[in-house]
Amino acid sequence: MAHRKKVLLKVIILGDSSVGKTSLMNQYVNRKFSNQYKATIGADFLTKEVTVDDKNVTMQIWDTAGQERFQSLGVAFYRGADCCVLVFDVTAPNTFKSLDSWRDEFLIQASPREPENFPFVLLGNKVDLEPRAVSAKRAQLWCQSKNNIPYFETSAKEGLNVEQAFLQIAKNALAQQNSAVDLYNEFPDQIKLTNTQKPSGGGDSCAC
Amino acid sequence: MNIVNKMTGKNEDEYKNKLITAVKKEVKQVMEESVTRKFVHEESGSVTSLCGAVEACLSQGLRRRALGLFKTSSTTALLHKIAKHSPEASNISKKVQEIENLDPNRRSSSSSDSLTKPTLKKNVSLQSNAVFPKYLWIRLALFNKQLAKIIDYLVSNADKYYNSDALVADPDYGSILSSLLVGPCALDYSRTKSQDHFWTDPPADELVQIHRICRCPSTPPSVRKSVVRKPLNASSEDSMAGRSSTQSLAKDYVESLHQNSRATLLFGKNNVLVMPLNSDVSRSIPGYLSLHQMASGLTIKWTPNQLMNGCGEEIADKNVYWDYALQVRLDEIVYVHCHQDVDTGGTVILVGQDGVQRPPIHFPKGGHMLGFLSCIETGLLPRGRLDPPLWSQRQGSNTKRRRPLPALSESEETSKHYVFRIIDNMNPKDILFKRNVLMDTTALLSTKVRVQLGSTSTSSESSSKSFSLDHQNVPDSPPSICIQAVCDSMKRQFISRAFYGWLAYCRHLSTVRTHLSGLVNSKIIHSEGAKEGITPQKWIELYKDEILHDHNEIYRLVYFGGICNDDIRRELWPYLLGHYKFGSTKEQRHELSEETKQAYENTMSEWLAVEAIVRQRDKEKQAKAIAKLSSESMSGDAPQIQRSLSNDVFEDISDTDTSNPEIGSSETSPEKKPLKTKQNTIKYDDDDDEEENKNLNVEKILINGLCEEEIIKNEDVKECTEEELKDFIHNVIVTNPSVDMSVLGSESPRRDHLDAVTEENNSSLDTCIETHGLASPARSACVSPASSNGGIYSQELLETFGLNLHRIEKDVQRCDRNYWYFSGDNGLDKLRNVMCTYVWEHLEVGYVQGMCDLAAPLLVIFNDESLTYACFCHLMERMVENFSNGNAMDCHFANMRSLIQILDSELYELMQSHGDYTHFYFCYRWFLLDFKRELVYSDVYATWEVIWAAQHISSTHFVLFLALALLETYRDIILSNGMDFTDIIKFFNEMAERHDAKSVLDLAKDLVLQLQLLIENK
Repeated sequence: MAHRKKVLLKVIILGDSSVGKTSLMNQYVNRKFSNQYKATIGADFLTKEVTVDDKNVTMQIWDTAGQERFQSLGVAFYRGADCCVLVFDVTAPNTFKSLDSWRDEFLIQASPREPENFPFVLLGNKVDLEPRAVSAKRAQLWCQSKNNIPYFETSAKEGLNVEQAFLQIAKNALAQQNSAVDLYNEFPDQIKLTNTQKPSGGGDSCAC
Repeated sequence: MNIVNKMTGKNEDEYKNKLITAVKKEVKQVMEESVTRKFVHEESGSVTSLCGAVEACLSQGLRRRALGLFKTSSTTALLHKIAKHSPEASNISKKVQEIENLDPNRRSSSSSDSLTKPTLKKNVSLQSNAVFPKYLWIRLALFNKQLAKIIDYLVSNADKYYNSDALVADPDYGSILSSLLVGPCALDYSRTKSQDHFWTDPPADELVQIHRICRCPSTPPSVRKSVVRKPLNASSEDSMAGRSSTQSLAKDYVESLHQNSRATLLFGKNNVLVMPLNSDVSRSIPGYLSLHQMASGLTIKWTPNQLMNGCGEEIADKNVYWDYALQVRLDEIVYVHCHQDVDTGGTVILVGQDGVQRPPIHFPKGGHMLGFLSCIETGLLPRGRLDPPLWSQRQGSNTKRRRPLPALSESEETSKHYVFRIIDNMNPKDILFKRNVLMDTTALLSTKVRVQLGSTSTSSESSSKSFSLDHQNVPDSPPSICIQAVCDSMKRQFISRAFYGWLAYCRHLSTVRTHLSGLVNSKIIHSEGAKEGITPQKWIELYKDEILHDHNEIYRLVYFGGICNDDIRRELWPYLLGHYKFGSTKEQRHELSEETKQAYENTMSEWLAVEAIVRQRDKEKQAKAIAKLSSESMSGDAPQIQRSLSNDVFEDISDTDTSNPEIGSSETSPEKKPLKTKQNTIKYDDDDDEEENKNLNVEKILINGLCEEEIIKNEDVKECTEEELKDFIHNVIVTNPSVDMSVLGSESPRRDHLDAVTEENNSSLDTCIETHGLASPARSACVSPASSNGGIYSQELLETFGLNLHRIEKDVQRCDRNYWYFSGDNGLDKLRNVMCTYVWEHLEVGYVQGMCDLAAPLLVIFNDESLTYACFCHLMERMVENFSNGNAMDCHFANMRSLIQILDSELYELMQSHGDYTHFYFCYRWFLLDFKRELVYSDVYATWEVIWAAQHISSTHFVLFLALALLETYRDIILSNGMDFTDIIKFFNEMAERHDAKSVLDLAKDLVLQLQLLIENK
């Protein structure tokens, strides 16, 4: 039997420290929230298999350290990324302000072939917390100014919107990869899905 | 299954044929998979295909209507139907129902079998549960080995359930179908994940587990150790060959004593007795003898029964048996001696080219020896043969050894001995000629040597010995002239080979010396009597008069044995970190502690003042942001929200919503740099003014006592409001500008001094600490707002400290919350104070993530903020390099690389082959935090004290050896899974806090010693 070709999507999560990168990743992959996470040192990743547009893919989600001191590590981790997830904390305006520098930093370090078309996704995390300091509108405006980055408001704690956001991330990552090289191989029909549930996507999926 | 159900006339036959062919094909596929991979996974695609094909056959011509089977999966319904009559079917039917009941939401038609696979489930998202939508009952029946029987039942009762033209009802096809499935039903299906089956890589746990199971034959530490020394008698190539053959031996045994894709099993017999040569066992032990044909030639293996019968228990004992196991390549064997006694089945002794006998192999009765020999003879063809041949040459010869072979049969009464020669399939002259020619080419020579060194576990000779022995074997047949030529040629080869080997080794050593000698201390300190470490008794002995004298002995004891409890740690760690001096009296230490405490409190009062300002500013900002947000969102009750929020977040500051301590543009340009720098550590620059101020100020602080904090805050707020008026003119808060000119002026010399301090060793560190005690009050005189003198805070200072403060808070809150000490606020507050004090004193370094982790264990042991702070400062002298953007980390990585190259060339090869991963980023956290995140707290203590002691005992870079030891601990897993950069990162992240710290430490010490010996060996 022919060996299946592995479709691997590399996703990098970036954002200031303590915005909830590790929590988002773990909520998505393990459907768990813990308030015991420590500050990430270096980098870690988790993998998750998902079905996107009838294709089975493996997402390799990289969780990075939030302090900019660690950015020099970036080159090694960012290389070959298919999608970059920017995260900020809706209760902390500073984490929103540094999004630009995270984005620029990523583009410099990862140096994708078409920087202007590289897929980013923005997550405004901790919507379960009060008081809110960054409005959805402001975030959306930012996204519009950056070539219409999809925006999701999430709560890693409550699992709100996390699944949808990552599905969008996987889609965008896959699109990016397909535009680069067609790695997809025909699968044997017995593992084909009968009903792929349609993911709700786009920036309008949040209630806010 | 995808075939259209259109059946008319002769198409029907064709269709049935198609169906049955599909089943045949899938059965073949499954059987092949079972042979080549030794097991078939339940999730295997071929299983699914087979089930699909069977389902198609069973649904064809089914009398649905008549039987009332209207469900989508009518075959499942059929199963339930026949359950009444067939016990097998009822068994499976029950299981199907059980599974379906577990998940009531699922329709029986789409019964997914993913529920039967808990190992898989966690990796599969909800949607993909539907990935295996069908064939549940067929699968279950197959895994339970009942499928053939159920189908047999269906075939024999086909008239009840099927139309007359159905495949199952067909007399030929029906029975073909059921008999086809007998084979697959005999297989064992596995749920274990195999390497190539799943997309996701197996978790670290599983890797370690698998490794433990297969561990018995793996290269034990002793083998690894010898690598370093091996170059002494063989080139590095040889050592590589030796290693990899040991490695492959391990693999062979575990995976492929049976027939597999790489080797054909020619002969196998159990309970063959062998007396291991290199053992202390005095009698022969039974084992499994097998003869394998591989691409490279024939191999004889003998495995003790102890290893054959499961591998579960008493792993430790089994290692012995792995030493006994034999693996002999037949192309190294020249003679096969056969001894036949009346009462035994016969004995075979193999004699190698080097003249060395392999352990005698005693066959049980029953003609097995003959069978074995004939298998060898067959296996040798066409390239070689036995001389004399076993069967073909029946005519007797004079000599005993040339007796015709049928005599070997056991029916003969007398004992007999035979010798067979294994020769290439050419006449002797050709062989001699060929040898002669080939001997001149180094290639052959070296391969042969390598083969001998590599694959025979019994020969311990150096290459030279085995060669001369080989030589002596030759005179049997060839003329002496040729021999002479061969000898001469070999001599030359030999000498040149030895020379080049020696040369390579010298070069290798010089590389080691130039690059690695700096990593270890040249003096080797021995561990005699130190293994116990510092026990309570020892401690009492050493600490009799409360003075620690013999620092070397302390270091030695700590290094080799550790400290046995936390109470002693509390006493001893300050010495190890350089805070207390060896030989200091109790009074001196007490004094030092007082000074440290004083300095710590002063520094705290300084930054607490600044913190208050920072908080105030934050509050403003937050308020602004929220105001903006609320105006954006047009909500009416914005002011209310604002108020309640600011109270929430900044409860420690009174309601001064309106105050605005933000400060305008610059007045004094030189103050653009953060003013607060290292002034505390150095006392020498103080002018008389400062001295005076100090004296004044100390009093003040003492008076203020505990209420100090409150006062600071109040004053601060007051200051702020006072300043409001001037705010837009000044960019600095000026409470007393008189002081800081001196600060500015002395800044650069102080920095130089600091650098000098970090470079030098303990002696200067002590002075450094003393200066803490003296200098801090001096500075607080300048800046502390607690004094009425006041201080200057530049805009930039406020911003820098504010940024750090936020970082510290974020990290402290998240630091080891699951550890008892930090589960409450008390521990976290202490940690925060220590961190803030450090950062205030080292603003040019700032807070970097991870510093918390380094301070936490110290705080847990000391439970004393000022002592923790002082010791943390000492600890950071070594660690701070890693936190800066300098190249300290790259330096670690480069050293790791060299160390691996020297100490584990095989692992090095793997890393090289993956290119990227020579960056060693997986070690990043190890080095940054001294393994703090890799180990549990108690192990962190044990590891840290060894690291601290190590610089005086064995190596100032002990962390490198720890890292190497950690890597070496799992090297076999890394190698056998061919892990790349990302795999290793994931593996070690998952293994965090689950390492066996003791064995890693021991291995690290051992690695240091190995390198020391290597360097010493001049």
